[in-house]
Amino acid sequence: MSAAAIGITGIVALLALLALRIPVAFAMFAVGFVGISILTGTDAALGLLASESFTLASNTDLIVIPLFILMGNVATSTGMSRQLYDAAYAIVGSFRGGLASATIIGCGGFAALSGSSVASALTMGKVSIKEMDRFKYDPRLSTGVVAAGGTPGILIPPSTGFVIYAILTEQSIGRLFLGGVLPGLMLLSLFILAVMLLCTIWPSYGPKGPKTSMSQKARAMVGAGPIVLVIMLTIGGIYGGLFSPVEAAGVGAGLVIIYGFISRSLDLKTLWSATRDSVVTTATVMLILISAYLFNPFLALSHIPDSVGEMLTSLNLGVTGTLLVILAIYLVLGCFLEGFAMLVLTLPIFFPIIMELGIDPIWFGVLVVLTLEMGLISPPVGINVFIVKSVAPNVPLSQIFIGVLPFWAMMIVALLIIIAFPQIVLFLPDTMIN
Amino acid sequence: MIVRKWADRLIGLSATLAAIGLIFEVGVVLVDVVGRSFGKPLYGSQDLIGMTMVILVFGAMALCDRKGGHISVDLFERYYPRAMNHFIDVISALLGAVIFFGIAWTVYDSSKWSILLNHSTNLLNLPKFWFQYALCGLAIVTAIGMALRAIELTFTKKDIRFDRRLNE
Repeated sequence: MSAAAIGITGIVALLALLALRIPVAFAMFAVGFVGISILTGTDAALGLLASESFTLASNTDLIVIPLFILMGNVATSTGMSRQLYDAAYAIVGSFRGGLASATIIGCGGFAALSGSSVASALTMGKVSIKEMDRFKYDPRLSTGVVAAGGTPGILIPPSTGFVIYAILTEQSIGRLFLGGVLPGLMLLSLFILAVMLLCTIWPSYGPKGPKTSMSQKARAMVGAGPIVLVIMLTIGGIYGGLFSPVEAAGVGAGLVIIYGFISRSLDLKTLWSATRDSVVTTATVMLILISAYLFNPFLALSHIPDSVGEMLTSLNLGVTGTLLVILAIYLVLGCFLEGFAMLVLTLPIFFPIIMELGIDPIWFGVLVVLTLEMGLISPPVGINVFIVKSVAPNVPLSQIFIGVLPFWAMMIVALLIIIAFPQIVLFLPDTMIN
Repeated sequence: MIVRKWADRLIGLSATLAAIGLIFEVGVVLVDVVGRSFGKPLYGSQDLIGMTMVILVFGAMALCDRKGGHISVDLFERYYPRAMNHFIDVISALLGAVIFFGIAWTVYDSSKWSILLNHSTNLLNLPKFWFQYALCGLAIVTAIGMALRAIELTFTKKDIRFDRRLNE
């Protein structure tokens, strides 16, 4: 049996195990270990298992994952994330569709902090859908903004998706963080534009919300001040060369904890609970990463990435054509697979092709993470949509999917704009870190 | 019942070590950053961060499994018969146990080389085998947790991942 045949058999076996609901990390461990054993011997596979487990678990760069997760968890527990929504609500809530726009800003900020648009849909959904119902918003709009609102947040640092991408492809976490800022803000603006367009065409979609006085506005903005300051300090620190991403993550987590204690919104019990949740999430991510470091050498040994690369090159699609095909594959896979697992599974195959074509890895990283986020609101899996359904049980699933459509279309627009103008991604990293 | 109680205590203890590790990491980074602004960064902070990370990552693995935290693709779950889903749960738990026993065994084996070659961290010269032993111990706790889960699933049909006592 040739190496390529063993590689293909391995991929088929992996897909079968995934379809059978075996956890992604376990399936990758099993296939990677058996594959390497067949191709180079059991000793090599055992050696790799030992070295990668310890090396990855002691990789100092990876500490950004638990630190940023802790920052997000504490910010959520102390209500700091909610204050972002309150501030946006006070400022734009009185305009037509304003509550929906405020929800998008709140969800985006929450997802940027927590690193999860799923958590954002759940947490913000409980608050904002009720509020929009009160002001007779169309349920398609109210549920659509909550399901989609968190997705731009993943592009705005700190983003776990970027950290994983950076580790798997050996790229700079700082450059990726900065690369995501402008596309994230652009997508956020496009979502707000979608709300404005919808409410202009169909005014009943999003009636005007409550008017807030200047003092209420000021109070809400002051309330959101600490979390905005933490974001500015951490991201601005990386941008200004003050901090490395690891230091930014530590300072961010530390500041949020200190603020929580000072403002008495955090006690030891809540901190302990947030910390335990953070280490559990870290374990989930790290186990998949370790398994990827066993699975990826198997793929490399079987020359599968080379074969896929040759196949794509033989199609003569050019750089942009090949990039579009790869993104289309991500888009389709995103409808069925969990985003993070998909990243780990596919990057070893696609990344060498990207490098061969001379595509900027930071630009590609932003495009991939954006495409993965689209999977969260695409049928049939679209986990965010199901989360919103659990928060708004009276709205039929089909209506939520219809509500999500304008935002899905805006994500396609954002994707095309970023493909046409890579500078949107590369401007900040190229000017600040080079 | 007694075995489960002791296993839960071990899982809770290793998760506690992981959580303490994370708080310690926050402290190390903060002290390092603040110290640096006064011209006195924390000596060996990279060593401390890296080695504590081992405890943090593997300490939380057992609780992650206990809470059902591992990502799986449940797209077809509803189409499988109940018995098949049950069988897959048992096999997954067993596979996980084998993987973690494998990690513990291979890392223990490589720790012998670390002792022989006197491997240590760059600045503080912390012997690496200490942390390899810690990783082994925590991986074994995870493996035991998974093996026990498989046994419980097989004989009592009870899925401990839905028991919220330790999860809360």
